[in-house]
Amino acid sequence: MSHAARIRQVGRPRLLAVDVRASFNLVARLTKYLSLTTLVPAAVALGYGEPPWPFLATAAIVGGVAVAVERVTGSADSSVGTREGFLVVSLTWLVAALVGALPYLLSSDPQLDRPLDAYFEAMSGFTTTGASVLVDVEQMSTSLRLWRQFTQWLGGIGIIVLALAVLPRLRVGGRQLLEHEMPGPEIDSLSTRIADTARRVWWLYVGLTVALVAVLLAIHAVGADDRMTPFEAIAHALTTVSTGGFGTKGTSLGDFSAASQWTIALFMLLAGMNFALLYRAFVRRQPRVLVRDEELRLYLGILSLASLVLAVLLATENIAGGEAAARHAIFQTISIMTGTGFSTVDFALWPPLAAMTLVALMFVGGSAGSTTGSVKVIRHLLLWRILRRELDQTVHPEVVAPVRLNRQVVDERTLRAVSSFILLYMGIFIVGAGLLAIDAARVGLELSVLEAVAAAATTLGNVGPGFGFAGPVGSFAPFSDFSTVVMTVLMWLGRLEVIPIVVLASRHYWRNF
Amino acid sequence: MKIFVIGAGEVGTTIVQALHGAHELTIVDQEAARIEEISARYDVATIEGNGASRRTLAAAGVAGADLLIACTARDETNIVSAMITKAVAPRTTTVVRTTNPEYLEVWHEGQLDVDFIVSSEVETAAAISQTITVPAARHTDLFAEGQVQLVEFDVNESASRSIVDVPLRDAPLPADSKVASILRGKEAILPGGDAVIRAGDRVIVIGSPHAAQSWGELMVPGSGKVRDVVIFGAGAYGTAIARRLLEQGIGVRLIEASGPRARVVADDLPEARVYHSTGTDPDFLERERIGDAQVAIFALRDDMQNHYASTLAKVHGVTFTIAIVNEAVSVEVFERAGVDVTVNPRQVTAEEIVRFAHDPRTQQVSMLEGDRFEVLDITTRTGSEYVGLTFREMPIRGALIGAIVRDGRAVFPRSDDVLRPGDRAIVFTESSRVREVERAL
Repeated sequence: MSHAARIRQVGRPRLLAVDVRASFNLVARLTKYLSLTTLVPAAVALGYGEPPWPFLATAAIVGGVAVAVERVTGSADSSVGTREGFLVVSLTWLVAALVGALPYLLSSDPQLDRPLDAYFEAMSGFTTTGASVLVDVEQMSTSLRLWRQFTQWLGGIGIIVLALAVLPRLRVGGRQLLEHEMPGPEIDSLSTRIADTARRVWWLYVGLTVALVAVLLAIHAVGADDRMTPFEAIAHALTTVSTGGFGTKGTSLGDFSAASQWTIALFMLLAGMNFALLYRAFVRRQPRVLVRDEELRLYLGILSLASLVLAVLLATENIAGGEAAARHAIFQTISIMTGTGFSTVDFALWPPLAAMTLVALMFVGGSAGSTTGSVKVIRHLLLWRILRRELDQTVHPEVVAPVRLNRQVVDERTLRAVSSFILLYMGIFIVGAGLLAIDAARVGLELSVLEAVAAAATTLGNVGPGFGFAGPVGSFAPFSDFSTVVMTVLMWLGRLEVIPIVVLASRHYWRNF
Repeated sequence: MKIFVIGAGEVGTTIVQALHGAHELTIVDQEAARIEEISARYDVATIEGNGASRRTLAAAGVAGADLLIACTARDETNIVSAMITKAVAPRTTTVVRTTNPEYLEVWHEGQLDVDFIVSSEVETAAAISQTITVPAARHTDLFAEGQVQLVEFDVNESASRSIVDVPLRDAPLPADSKVASILRGKEAILPGGDAVIRAGDRVIVIGSPHAAQSWGELMVPGSGKVRDVVIFGAGAYGTAIARRLLEQGIGVRLIEASGPRARVVADDLPEARVYHSTGTDPDFLERERIGDAQVAIFALRDDMQNHYASTLAKVHGVTFTIAIVNEAVSVEVFERAGVDVTVNPRQVTAEEIVRFAHDPRTQQVSMLEGDRFEVLDITTRTGSEYVGLTFREMPIRGALIGAIVRDGRAVFPRSDDVLRPGDRAIVFTESSRVREVERAL
């Protein structure tokens, strides 16, 4: 056979180089399991004498569709590789928010009866943002409120980590999924096997949640906080460890006692740390790893500095004094920086310098390998070192200066990725803030520069509250539908660290040439 | 002693040259030409064959050897040769030459069944760092775990007036030091109190490292501590030197022509400044103020590069240069070109290996002026004729005890101190008298 004949046998080039069918198949499989999680609020509904059917219906609809899609797309030879991983995570989050929104719509809650609002609320849940369109959360049924909290807990560690730990079928080839899933430029693997690492992280997450519930119940039991009922304890533990920030009260944590607030501040601080580091320090009892870690040191350093600034400001402006000034300053700092979004006071009323500090903290984020969103401390640290090297090389063009982190050399690809991430992140933030401002002008909504900036930063950074009407005791409801969509997209982009989603927009992702 | 030397390259030849008179040597090498050359020059047994082959070693009679020196250019051949020897003759002491610092590390951790490992890189780095700590010295060497230092100076016009042309007993010599020898032309003086140091002499001093630095200060006033060293070439030698200097708190700039190599070295040595440059670009030398460096070390791949780069560095204002000599013949060229110190890694390695061949009581030897003088580190016997004598009473027989190590600590003896049995004596002597000194002590 001639060469020409052989070449022709290959046939026409494939239209898409990505195995979309396999990706859909995997998303459907994950969604199938996700649909089962609605049984938890269903049980709560039964316990509180509320109708469980919105949750059961969600489980039935989503489960049915997922199984159907899985059947249709399933074929023996389809496989998910690195390339499909981007599509899978991106789609999974969109679908998860859909699953989250269904119970709101089906129970026709008056505050969430519009699909866009319900979808925003669910996306805010699964991305652990904590921004809400609810005007009065206390009007909601107990089971729906718990579902809100629960979506954040699920989103926190990531549905896919859960799937990896629970579904042995996904063990092979799971690493690339986890890499998008555990936020931050690197995962410090705890085990050579990805499923093992995922399982350990998962248990640490559960352990932290249980510990927080126990401490909060103890505070309630000794009479240090009458309002911290078992329901509140569980509801707040779910959104603290996930750095989500949904609350069950209109004033967030403002009505709870100082003891509860300090406890939650401590757990937010822990949740903002690298889970691999926490695992080594507390489970393997190697506390020295905490002292040596440069990212952790900077994380605590930024927190201390910002807390100090806020505390001094609160004291000098006579907003609060003594323990209250320290508590409010530290709590707000940790809450905003880790992207949790709880509040103990309405910080939207604080003076401009405090507002600026808090908006700046929205861009910091927690540590790599935590449940937090935003840029993350490690990237700031690396960017600082990259810039310092650039300056060095401006004067000394021949100098070869590797960038190090914890004494380890960071490879140039990672450094490039860090720089492009931050550029992309800031670019998206600016576009987002611009769109919100333009849209506000279009519909005649009064939106200050600070409010527009804060709304974009808080949704992209998965923080939660903004300023002005969207402040900690306010609501995102006044935004127009278009702005709601913009912010929903920002939350989605932020949670998946921008790149896996932006990659989908490039021609090179879909085509071989 | 019956000694096997595997490898008749430059290291092997230097070792043979130092040992052939006093010991029964067998040389193994694969190259017929080298074997022929060795057997033509020295009275030694030679075997043409693979030193890592059990058959060759057994046939050569390695089972009866006291010492095996494996010093081919290939690390793995050396190690295999030593391991085979250990298996055939467990009582044979094995010494292996390596160029890979990792083997040295593995050996230190006890995971390599070899008695001693000598690394050319580490020895070279040590030699250079000793020179740099006393920059005025022509040559220096450390003994007794670094407590005793030997330094060799060329006395010239810049030397302090207080010690030149003054009888030694009246000169303000640094404490804890002793002039071991004054070389004037062909003549070597073992100095008494009346001796005088003159300009043009070469003096050899034994003393504490601190005294050695004070001597450096006397010889070249103003030569303080070195803080800024530039190393050209970040190959195995350059890197080993840099590592050693950094450990001593000396600032190091490394210049490497290969990008990937520069990157690797920069990764390994966080404290060093590494430049990706040939080191022969005048703009680069000017911009980086290479001329401001107190010392420039040339460890490039070949001697011609070293030659050119060192001359160019001098043009840019570097005042003190040290060059690694890749081929023995280059020493003279470098000296003509104004290179201040030359270090021949093979020579250094051979010296280090030769010490294993000396009397078992002898811990370390150093060779000076080619092989004209040696420094021995000998533990005195109880029956020695010198034991019990004060240093004033000791007869002078072409040898001098520069320092003694008593209970692990260096003592620089005064004339009324007494030598005790079990003292480790650091002895300076002419090479021809080594056996005599060993017998006497």
